[in-house]
Amino acid sequence: MDLNDKDLIRRVVDDGDQRAYAQLVRRYQSQLRFSLRQLCDGDQALADDMAQEAFIKAYKALPAFRGDARFSTWLYRIAYNLVMSYRRKNAPEVDQEAVDRAQAQETVEEAQQLGMARDLESAMQELSEPQRQAIHLCMHRGFSHEEAASIMKLPLGTVKSHVNRARAKLQTLLQAWREEVVSG
Amino acid sequence: MDKFEHSAREGVQGFGTLSEAQLRNSDPDFDAWLGQQLQFSEPYLDDDGFCDQVMERLPAPTARSERRVTRTQYAAVAMASTIVAWQFPFGEVLAEAARQSISLYSLVGIGLLSSLAAMFGGIVAARR
Repeated sequence: MDLNDKDLIRRVVDDGDQRAYAQLVRRYQSQLRFSLRQLCDGDQALADDMAQEAFIKAYKALPAFRGDARFSTWLYRIAYNLVMSYRRKNAPEVDQEAVDRAQAQETVEEAQQLGMARDLESAMQELSEPQRQAIHLCMHRGFSHEEAASIMKLPLGTVKSHVNRARAKLQTLLQAWREEVVSG
Repeated sequence: MDKFEHSAREGVQGFGTLSEAQLRNSDPDFDAWLGQQLQFSEPYLDDDGFCDQVMERLPAPTARSERRVTRTQYAAVAMASTIVAWQFPFGEVLAEAARQSISLYSLVGIGLLSSLAAMFGGIVAARR
């Protein structure tokens, strides 16, 4: 039975039902781990560790979760805080060997990305990091500007500006692909 | 990659001169297209034991919440038994039993045993 986030959280908090929390973990693990991999510059092991920490921290703090925001927004905020805090303590943050190892272990399917996906990835790399994060949260994950601002701990206007600038850059960089789609 | 490199060469020169009007000029079609492409390029990451690792590291639920669960389960079973007892046609069954010459004592015994079995089963099922 697929319960919504609110019901699962109520079961965890009121009944101490850890299986309900396992459902939440399964529901969000892929999205969160993927987002954190981007935030950790492709270091998959670090991203997974951070995601694990975020889920554990969220579980402990769940009784204090008031439900003003969506669970996913709250979870992302915790995860982003953890990564930023880790980065502050551990600069330089990227373990290039770990990145290379992880990339070497990629499956054939992952390696066989289509040209569009590769170019999109390259275009995303042209963005500044805050722009990349803002686009990822707003246009990929579907968070509102307000939610993204709360996750990134930035003023709303700054997030909007990042999104607008990133959108304009991507629009230029991916123009050829769009024209191909439009012209068929 | 040609498409990207060609656009990138042109684009890099233009980024510094993007006007505020250009920046604010949101194209809903482009937004929808970009959203689709971003979704398409995201692989689903298999759980691969991730969830189990998280669950192993969670602190145990508090005794208070466990007690609350048990109380809730017993209350649910008691309520269900009450409803069954309320709806059960004891009079008709007793009359039928008398007609069939079944001893009243054995009937009560069977009823008690059935109720106990049903309650025990209910508690076990609820705890699972």
